[in-house]
Amino acid sequence: MTDRRRINGPPCGTRPPVFAPATGKAAESPKRTRRSNELRKIFLKTGLIPSAAGSAYLEIEPARPLLTKPLIARSSALKLTCTVHGPKPLPRSTPFSPNLLITTHVKYAPFAARRRRGYIRDASERDLGVHLETAIRGAIIAERWPKSALEVTVNVLEAEDDRWWGNVSGSYDASWGMMNVLAGCITATSAAIADARIDCLDLVVGGVAALVREEASQKTEGHAVNGSPILVLDPDPSEHRSIVSTCVIAYMPGRDEITELWLKGDALEVALSEDDKRSGHEALIDGAVDTARRLHSVLTAAVVESGERLFSAMTDGTWTKDDNGNVEMKI
Amino acid sequence: MGSPAAGTATASQQPSSGSNNHYPTPSSLPPSQIARLQPHAFLLAHLSPPASSNQPPVRANGRSPAEFRVTSANAGSLTHTNGSAVVRIGDKAAVCGVRAELLYTQDVASWGVSKSSSSSSSISGGATQGEEAGEGEDEEDDSQIRDLHLLVPNLSLSTGCAPGFIPGAPPSALAQSLSHQILSLLHTSRMVRADDLRIWYHPPNLSALERETESHERMDTGEEEEEEEGEEGSESGTSEIKAFWVLYIDVLIISLAGNPFDAAWAAVLAALRDTKLPRAWWNVDNDMVLCSDDASEAKKLHLRGMPIASSYCVFEADPAASWRPVVIPGAAKEEKDVQGKKRSQQSWVLADPDGYEENLCQERICVVVDQDRGGKTKVLRIEKNGGLSVGKEELRKLVNISIGRWNHLKSIIEALR
Repeated sequence: MTDRRRINGPPCGTRPPVFAPATGKAAESPKRTRRSNELRKIFLKTGLIPSAAGSAYLEIEPARPLLTKPLIARSSALKLTCTVHGPKPLPRSTPFSPNLLITTHVKYAPFAARRRRGYIRDASERDLGVHLETAIRGAIIAERWPKSALEVTVNVLEAEDDRWWGNVSGSYDASWGMMNVLAGCITATSAAIADARIDCLDLVVGGVAALVREEASQKTEGHAVNGSPILVLDPDPSEHRSIVSTCVIAYMPGRDEITELWLKGDALEVALSEDDKRSGHEALIDGAVDTARRLHSVLTAAVVESGERLFSAMTDGTWTKDDNGNVEMKI
Repeated sequence: MGSPAAGTATASQQPSSGSNNHYPTPSSLPPSQIARLQPHAFLLAHLSPPASSNQPPVRANGRSPAEFRVTSANAGSLTHTNGSAVVRIGDKAAVCGVRAELLYTQDVASWGVSKSSSSSSSISGGATQGEEAGEGEDEEDDSQIRDLHLLVPNLSLSTGCAPGFIPGAPPSALAQSLSHQILSLLHTSRMVRADDLRIWYHPPNLSALERETESHERMDTGEEEEEEEGEEGSESGTSEIKAFWVLYIDVLIISLAGNPFDAAWAAVLAALRDTKLPRAWWNVDNDMVLCSDDASEAKKLHLRGMPIASSYCVFEADPAASWRPVVIPGAAKEEKDVQGKKRSQQSWVLADPDGYEENLCQERICVVVDQDRGGKTKVLRIEKNGGLSVGKEELRKLVNISIGRWNHLKSIIEALR
């Protein structure tokens, strides 16, 4: 059934373009050039959407930025916006709630992925919304706002690929890109909630780690034994041929607490290198925590910036920074 | 709001313009609160400074009535699109992504019928392909884009851009009407040429092939083609349209602060200017269209003109005036003249209204203008509703303001890559 409230295009449907293999050169799959514990650059800014109580924009730059834009995107970045509306009173019809009610919506833009996505939320988007809600619920002090609601909306403008675009989907392929999107959602939402001045226990940071298996012919940095997977932080799924397992966590560094843990793939049987006796799961969770700890500094900087903006707005510019960088008020 | 006014509870008092002038106020409410409690009086006090102060009227947001918000644009930042743009106008932000997909003519049920009725012109289109399209062909252009739904704009407001729009809900009435406005403006302005969207198939020249005695398979396919073509494929074979590009134009309003149409249209325009379509050809063996991934072979759309929308709303000093009973014309004619004069003074036309002003105004005007290379102005569309304050003369002035706006936006959009 067609959606009559939107403009639907040709009734017989359209097909995505098929690209002919370019003669002469075969497209090469990208390889990870960062070290296994090196993160990609992240850009986080709060307050870009003035109509919302709190907002944040997050962007993870692709590992290899290109000067000219090719027709088939070689690598993809993650770009998302997050808005927070509230806390606002619940409508009268809703039953009494002693806590703050949180609703989360994650929506991919139609142009976010290689395949055009529809406007109606699909199962994966609902799934992401539920995971995001769990992640931030653990950090918000919900008892402070009885009878009120908080609405979190995340727009994914550009999502990460699940695999390299040149590969056909394999049997043990999962939607790995979703994990990176979730981690980005958690970090951005945390910044937006802080921007909306909502009391939290701590800032929640999303972190991703993955166990990947490289091809036998290629040795990465010499320490990986053939066949046994290696642990990489902040993986870009398009850079790895086979991903064994991926883990996303939402982590509060100040309290050393995990509010959300999502692990995909089978890492139980996996043995790491000889000197590492951890099980695959432990290694993955440790790696994800490590990622989150390092992203925490970016998040803190964004929140501090948001706080400075609030001060200057409240005091109409009478707050100034002195030479030591401390904020002082002119009297 | 950022209003500098040290507001007062009464509308007649003077709003201050300097940020540091703190007038003693009878009420202790800050200006932002008065703006919420008495929005109409607040804006009126800003727009009608006392004659003694010699100040021009200033809106509550610090702009003069005919001033637009600061505009910035950025194009080509989204990797999975054929063309994309972000336009920010003040606090508004719109993201537009254009994505091209293929519509095979063999899938179109009515293709054979419509083609036979207009076959002559489509063949002539094939002959003049690559050349500048003539006037006669423009009509054909228009109808194909419209009939086959080759442009599919959709606007989404449920992005958390404003508190009122529930995310995940079906598109609101406003979003639906904006989508249709964009679609109708795309059609009526005829900005996109159908010729850019067609994918032709030119069957190989048989006679030349025979002379060169190519391999047998290719001749076979060629002969089949000729049989399909019938009597027309005598010399060089007839070109036919095998597929069309369909442009999905998706606009997300990321941040809403009144007047979404201007920003959405500017984003659509900038994204279409950024759009590159890959070179595509019909592959006979696979019976499908293949595209080249070589960026140097891709070509941009040749857009017709650059229509730019500018919106206005009319703020009336006395919003209840239209509710009062009309004075009988014969009885007090002079009085009415005086009143009419007064009334025209008591309304202000505000360019590019923000959300606060939009809520206070009834009358809306949207003007879409374009200029051709000779500097001749074309008015592509005027939409006006909600009131009677703006007449012929005022509308003419607004068109002039819109031309100024057109020049400004043109320089911004043309500065993009």
